[in-house]
Amino acid sequence: MLIQLKGGRVIDPVNKRDAKGDVFIEDGRIVAAPQGREPDEVYDVTGKIVMAGAVDMHSHIAGSNVTLGRQLMPELPYLAAQDGQPISPSPASWGAYATGIRYAEMGYTTVIEPAMIPTHAIEAQVELASIPIIDVAGLAILGNDDYTLELLRDGKGRSDELKDYVAWTLNHSKAIGLKVINAGGSEAFKFNDRTFSLDDEVPEYGVTSRAIVEAMQKAVADLAVPHPPHVHCNNLGIAGNVETAVATIEATQGLPIHFAHIQFYGYGKEGEKGFSSGAATLMDAVNKHKNATVDVGQVMFGQTVTISGDILRQFDGRRAASPKKWAINQGDGNGTGVVPYHYKSKSFVNALQWAIGLEIFLMAEDPWRVLFSTDHPNGALFVRYPEIIHLLMDKDERARWLDDVPEASREFSNLAEISRELTYSEIAVITRGAPAKLMGLNDRGHLGAGAIGDVAVYTEQKNKTKMFAGADYVFKSGELVVRKGKVVRVTYGRCYHVEPGYDPQIKRRVKSFYDSKYGVDPSWFGVSDAITNRRDRFATIPLSR
Amino acid sequence: MATVKGEEAELDSALERAADLLGRARFPVIGGLFTDISGAAAALALAEKLGGAVDHAAGTGLSRASRVMRETGATPASFGEVRNRADTVVVIGKGPLERDPDLIAKLFPGKPGLARPGDNQREVIFLGLDKVRTPRHVRSSSIRGRASLPELVALLAANVRETRFDIRDKALRTKLNRAGERIRKSAFAVFVYDPAEIEEPVMHTVLETVRHLVLTTRAAIMTVAAPGNGDGVNLCSTWTCGLPVRTSFAREVPEHDAWAYETERLLETGEADALVWIDALEGEGTKRPKGAPTVVLSSSPGRASKGDVVIEVASAAGDHDAALYLSPISGIGMVKAGKANKDKPTVAHVLTRIAELIDARNA
Repeated sequence: MLIQLKGGRVIDPVNKRDAKGDVFIEDGRIVAAPQGREPDEVYDVTGKIVMAGAVDMHSHIAGSNVTLGRQLMPELPYLAAQDGQPISPSPASWGAYATGIRYAEMGYTTVIEPAMIPTHAIEAQVELASIPIIDVAGLAILGNDDYTLELLRDGKGRSDELKDYVAWTLNHSKAIGLKVINAGGSEAFKFNDRTFSLDDEVPEYGVTSRAIVEAMQKAVADLAVPHPPHVHCNNLGIAGNVETAVATIEATQGLPIHFAHIQFYGYGKEGEKGFSSGAATLMDAVNKHKNATVDVGQVMFGQTVTISGDILRQFDGRRAASPKKWAINQGDGNGTGVVPYHYKSKSFVNALQWAIGLEIFLMAEDPWRVLFSTDHPNGALFVRYPEIIHLLMDKDERARWLDDVPEASREFSNLAEISRELTYSEIAVITRGAPAKLMGLNDRGHLGAGAIGDVAVYTEQKNKTKMFAGADYVFKSGELVVRKGKVVRVTYGRCYHVEPGYDPQIKRRVKSFYDSKYGVDPSWFGVSDAITNRRDRFATIPLSR
Repeated sequence: MATVKGEEAELDSALERAADLLGRARFPVIGGLFTDISGAAAALALAEKLGGAVDHAAGTGLSRASRVMRETGATPASFGEVRNRADTVVVIGKGPLERDPDLIAKLFPGKPGLARPGDNQREVIFLGLDKVRTPRHVRSSSIRGRASLPELVALLAANVRETRFDIRDKALRTKLNRAGERIRKSAFAVFVYDPAEIEEPVMHTVLETVRHLVLTTRAAIMTVAAPGNGDGVNLCSTWTCGLPVRTSFAREVPEHDAWAYETERLLETGEADALVWIDALEGEGTKRPKGAPTVVLSSSPGRASKGDVVIEVASAAGDHDAALYLSPISGIGMVKAGKANKDKPTVAHVLTRIAELIDARNA
């Protein structure tokens, strides 16, 4: 069936398009304007904004870590709704089903779960498969696991064995890329270390965080996995940590690397309170190092819960838990820490965190390398995205919010002086084109012929919060799934992953390691096509070469 | 094989009768739930459609642990971490070894493990039970006395925190002092318990002890897995609707209540007017309660042949591959079928068909 979206303003920066025109969809894909054929369905979208379906490249939506958060905080949607967040007061509101529905309503059609624990990949994948409408992919976590650390300890950091192990893990979890969370820090926590920085050594292994990240960068580059290592640095959330972040960026040696939620690393230690914006310093480094991409991890005021594989940091963060409860799961590899948190506009630190995130977005010289995220749910629930887009596109809106934060927070950030307003095209870059490209999902994030038929149509209005909260239409793989901001058809999407090759010997070695250390056969946690009843659930994306 | 009121029936006809029975019900409960993750997901979907409730046969322990988690959180360690790195393991009560008689052998396998913190010789302290055999390289001691298990836990907790307490039993006091000192000097002490055996205040006492210890050292809890894939079903319930088992879908938003939505209570009081009883795991079985018209999905229907509608289903991990909670990975893993048998329908298939039939009638 040929569908025509007629007469909208088409914003498609990948194809350098920002003009009134038509978009055609047929058999689930975008097609060029067909000659001499009448469309079967025409949607008059005159006066509306037409973009590709949005791609969220860092959002914790599934897996044993997220479900630990649900177990600790079933009341999260109630508390969030009480403070005005756009979420239904029901424990089901952050369940799998509601996740897909709400994302689709906002025009999102692909979401990346950034922290799959390899031994719990089956749960992550089963949960992801129960999320409707959106396509998904997951990043597998390595870097605090003992197999990697043993290889590095034994001087095999640049060996084929590490590369094979990374490849095996990505295949075994059906992941699209590799995540490294506080490299070595979670393991050090298991030896009772409570701080861990870039050049600290993991006890008993003598391996530094720097060495782990470097080894992973090389392995991923050698494997030609499109998405570079997705790194959560050391010292998250600590005043003065901008130095760690800059040092980490400078240590990357020109190889591709992605730094996650860098707002949490944009902290200086100026002023009486020893906490200030380090955004300018951080962005100077990001702007200079063109091998690096980042996502922001914007903070918004309100109740949320933080979920992270950085158990060392989460353990430290437990003292700020609100409500006062926390869970630290000391699991294999990274484990998970869950700490509820309430960001308050009247808090000097929280207001500054909020401002630093916006500064980072607005100081980016190249929006293709500074991507949109809240690190859901850590900085804010994903339902807050429309408000953030509003703040980025409207300096008057920023001024209104700034009026409401403590004067000291304004003083220690540069946000008030920034007049930049992101354009629709830049929003399309940071929420569509750039994340799709960065994940190697080249068939989406744009509206060129051959792209997947994922399209979001919005009614243009001054209030961008309202505009982006509910799309007029959303097409997923060519099917109309949202009309007037509400889901009209529930479909189920696909999971994308990579299949880098490896020497089969690694299977024997990993099996022997798991057997002797854990009494476990790795086949128990391998993700097979059969874990869902949908035959075409999994799809492989090509490697970079 | 299927039966309706004891008479053999074709599968399709049994499914129709099941749909009749459940379609008429005002408040059905889906219980037992000895099933895999697919079966649990289908049960949750059916309960939501019917406005009924879900419970698991091991729901008492699961609900306790869930409530303690909601109230104060938890500090669990994975089985792998305990096996490789704990220097002191405190086994609380008889439940853990009743659930898994080989637990000690699995935790202390006699092979070199991963590097671990500290250099203490490894030790097991049995609290409220006699010593069982431990490998030669592992020390062990037992703390028993006239005190009940909750009292022993409280006394040990007080001792670990060096809080004053009085007991007359000098032998017990000596043992407690020694254990308290050992735990304080441990690099990684782990308390193992079965949530079905100890009540919530006791769990809180253990967790408070761990929260005290982690101020200066490493410590954790480890719970033994519930029978019947209880932990897997509970996780599936949580990611599906945000709440653990013993949840009702009768109102606009799901409601969890460990007392109100217990299967036996719902049947005894007549609050539930229909039961779906699921008992379909290889090597495990559970006894069905009575009290309402029932649809039984069983892999060994001999066990429950008098139900109103009985459908023989494939056993998870016996007749078909199954995603189940596996203790050694402290999470959900895949278990291959012992002997694949595609002739029998799975729990997920049967429940989904019943839901479709009900939909068709309501259309």
